Order: sequence, then structure tokens, then C-alpha cells
Amino acid sequence: MRKMLFDPERTIIRLYEVSKHFGDTDALVDVSFDVCRNAFFFISGPSGAGKSTLMKLLYLGERMSSGYAIVDGMNLSRIKHGQVPMLRRRLGIVFQDYRLIPGKSVFDNVGLVLEVAGMSSRKTIRERVMSVLEKVGMADRHDAFPPTLSGGEQQRVALARAMVGNPSIILADEPTASLDIEAAERIFDLLVAAHEEGATVVITTHDRYLLSKGCTGRAYLKNGRCVATEPHPEGMDI
Amino acid sequence: MRDAIRRGFADFLNYKALHGICVITIALAVFVISAFGLFLQNANDLMRSWKEEIRVIAYLTPETGPAEREGIIADIESYSGVGGVAYVSGDEAFEWLKAEIGSQTALLEGLTDNPLPDALEVSLSGDIDGTASIPDLADKMSGLKGVDDVEYARQWLERFDGIYNLFRLTSMVLIGLIFAAIMMIVANTIRLILYQRIEEIKITRVIGADDTFIKYPLYFEGIMLGLAGGLAGLLLLYAAFSATVPQLSAAGLLVYFQVRFLPWPLVLILILSSMAVGWIGCYLSIRRFLKF
Repeated sequence: MRKMLFDPERTIIRLYEVSKHFGDTDALVDVSFDVCRNAFFFISGPSGAGKSTLMKLLYLGERMSSGYAIVDGMNLSRIKHGQVPMLRRRLGIVFQDYRLIPGKSVFDNVGLVLEVAGMSSRKTIRERVMSVLEKVGMADRHDAFPPTLSGGEQQRVALARAMVGNPSIILADEPTASLDIEAAERIFDLLVAAHEEGATVVITTHDRYLLSKGCTGRAYLKNGRCVATEPHPEGMDI
Repeated sequence: MRDAIRRGFADFLNYKALHGICVITIALAVFVISAFGLFLQNANDLMRSWKEEIRVIAYLTPETGPAEREGIIADIESYSGVGGVAYVSGDEAFEWLKAEIGSQTALLEGLTDNPLPDALEVSLSGDIDGTASIPDLADKMSGLKGVDDVEYARQWLERFDGIYNLFRLTSMVLIGLIFAAIMMIVANTIRLILYQRIEEIKITRVIGADDTFIKYPLYFEGIMLGLAGGLAGLLLLYAAFSATVPQLSAAGLLVYFQVRFLPWPLVLILILSSMAVGWIGCYLSIRRFLKF
């Protein structure tokens, strides 16, 4: 890919020749693409294509082996250990397996994001958490513990956790893979709502149903390589 | 910091089963080490009381009059390590000798004069060093005008001191070893607890927590675990002490010796130490969990 001029006003994520190797295995090879600010972006491809690895690189769950990546103005190849939390506070992350803390209530799982961000007013935390739980339809279960919830409910809580800090980017790694169609539809609608409120949403998926929905941009991975990109910066069709 | 304490306290109550196991481990550790401390303290008391039984006898010259004798007594009482000085006249000593040999008093019948001199019986305070200080004390007493000769149980003293020093050295080595072993056990128990919570730590990291946000509540939890374990261990020891010592006294096994529980300063040191162990256990374990 020819190196393009980087406009931080327009581009919120840039990957340039990003590679990741695990020993002799090439998980990602020279992946390059841009994600525009306020995009609704799909990263698709078959299982094992490197979608989840790419997602981990974006929130620095893994460090890239070579190349460079800029996420919301932060250069991931130069970021120091102490700056990683700052990057992650700008992101809302949704995982396929929800990754809620089982020993904490729904309220505490979501509120933890605000505590991590340094918010100490219990009243403000309560208001913000209850507001976002209302949005995802989980306010009445705020004192339940994750193991007592269905998969769809847990994913809605995970989405509330991703949204409560008003992140500039929401990364959703196969968010509907463990859900039935009805629950998947609901999660997708919530992601669209977050996008409408101004967040850039990046979703990895190989779910044809999700992919049939509209988006503003798309990257297709195969065997760790980005074989196609499809930007639609001008408008979205969802 | 207040938030960290609040979160640490909430987590402490939140993981009852995990923390229960850790508190029991620390309690047993504190029980073992404080029981050993209790034994050592009382053994030390016993040794002290034996040391107080040691007597140094200063025999006075026949020319020493009462005024001179009082001066000698005052001099000896001013020496460090001296618990008390008692005057024993030659006549008293002779009467005591007759009483001691009992039916064999015929042995003394040929004596026209009392051959025993007046003497000063010097008892020692418990804190005096054995072989090092007593010969020095004896030398000083020999140099006093009016003192003819000084006697003490040199051989017995040397043997006693050997046993006492061996006991002290062994105690220190054992305490060191037990403490190190307990420290490792507690640190590993806390590490196991952190392993149980590794997923929680990873998730908290992923949502943007920095090292401080994760560390401080866990340090506080470690201190709380130490405090709870320390209190539980000491309560257990006190219960065992209260249940056994009166029985032993009633059975006549502790006639010559008063067994006492650990003094408050030592109790406080044990509690603070167990809190420190809880914190150190956390400190050593957390570092490897902050890589994520």
C-alpha cells in the first residue's frame, strides 16, 4: 500500500504494513488500511484469518512485530507501558466471550470503567451507569451477577461497559458469535446506536448475517493478509 | 488512596471463600510461630529464675567489723548485675551446717571454735551475663578491703551458660527458619489467590486500569488478610493456652514456675508482622500479574 498522508481529523485508525508473528507462525502480514472517524467498520474473514489478533493489536493486548499503527492519535509502535492505560480508556472493547468479572455485580462491572478513569463521585457514577444500563435494557438487572445472566444479557452488559466511558472507538470482537439471531440483532442495534451517538465502531466478524448489514467501511483478511478493503467514507447504509 | 481502600475492603468481603483459605493459612502460621514464641519466652523465664538462684559468696576477714562490713555491702550492691546482698555470720553458717548434716553432727563435736568465717551472700539479678560477668564481679569483690576470699560455682556456671547459649542460638535459628518457611507459604497462598483472580486483573487492565489502580487495593487486601490471620492465630493460641495451662497447674506440673501468656508488645509485633507478611506476599506476587 502506498503510504498516504495522515489526517488525524479524518482518520482515527491507521495500520501500515502491520505484521505479527508468534514464533514461526505469521498471524498478520503487512496489513494496511485506514478507518475514518465515526466509521462503522467491519473486519471480516474466515476463522483463523487474524481478525482477533488484529483487534488485540489495536488495544495493545499484543504488540505488533513490525509496521506501525495509529489509534486515536497514539502511535502504538512507540507507546510506553505507562501510556497503555490512556489508550485503553479511549476505547470501549466488546469480546465474544463477554469477559465480565463474575464476582462483581452488573452495576460494578460497568461502573469499574468510570472508577478506572478516575471518577470518584459515587452519585455521578451511579447516574452514568444506570443511564447506560437503561439504554441496553439491563437497568432492572443492575444488581445481578454475570453468571446468572443469559449470553445475550451478558453481552448487553459488556456493551454497556464499553459505552459508559463515552469512548471515541468501540472495538467489538465477534460480538454476536455466541448469540442467537434475536440477541445478535439487539446487540447490533445497540452498536448502531453507539455509532449514531458519535463513536467509531470497529467490528470483527465472520457472521454473514451481520455482514449483510450496511457499513461505511470494510477490510477482508485471509491467512493474515488484508486482501481487500472497501471504504465508503461518504455515507452509511445501515 | 481512599478509593483504593474502599475497593480493597469491598473485594476483601467479596471473595469470602478465597480469602477464608488465606486467613486460615496465615492464622495457622501465626499460631505456630507464636506458640513457639510462647515456649521460648517461658523457657527464658525459667532460665532467668535459675540464674537468680546462683550465689557468689564473699568470705570476710576475722578483723572486719560491722561498720566496715556495711561499707563492703554498699560497695557490692552498687555493682551491676547484683540482685541483693545478705550477711551470714559465722555462727549462723555453723548452725546451718549442723542442721544440714543432721544425724552426723558428731563429726563436729571435736571442734572447740567455729571455723566458719562471716560471709556475704550475693544473689544476682536475672539480666546478668553468665560466664562473662560473674568472674569479673568476683574479681571486683576480691579486691575490696575486708574480703578474704570469693567463691562461686564456676564449673556449674560454665555448664549452665553453655546450655543457655545453645538454647538461645537454636531458638534464633529455628525462629528464622520457621519465619522464612511461613513467609513462603503465605506468599504462595496469596499468589494462588491472585491466580484465581487473574482474569479479573486482565479485564481490569483491558478497560484501562493502570498499575496503581490494580496494586493498591490488592496491597490493602494483603494487609487485611494479615491482620485477620494474625488476630485469628493469636486468639487460637490464647484459647489453647487458657484451656491447657490451668489444667497443668491443677495437676501440679507447674508448681515451681509461673507460665504466662505473650506480653502485649509481642502480641502487637506478631500482628504487625503478619500484616507485613500479607503485604509482602502481595507485593512479591503482584509484579508478575502486572505484565498484562
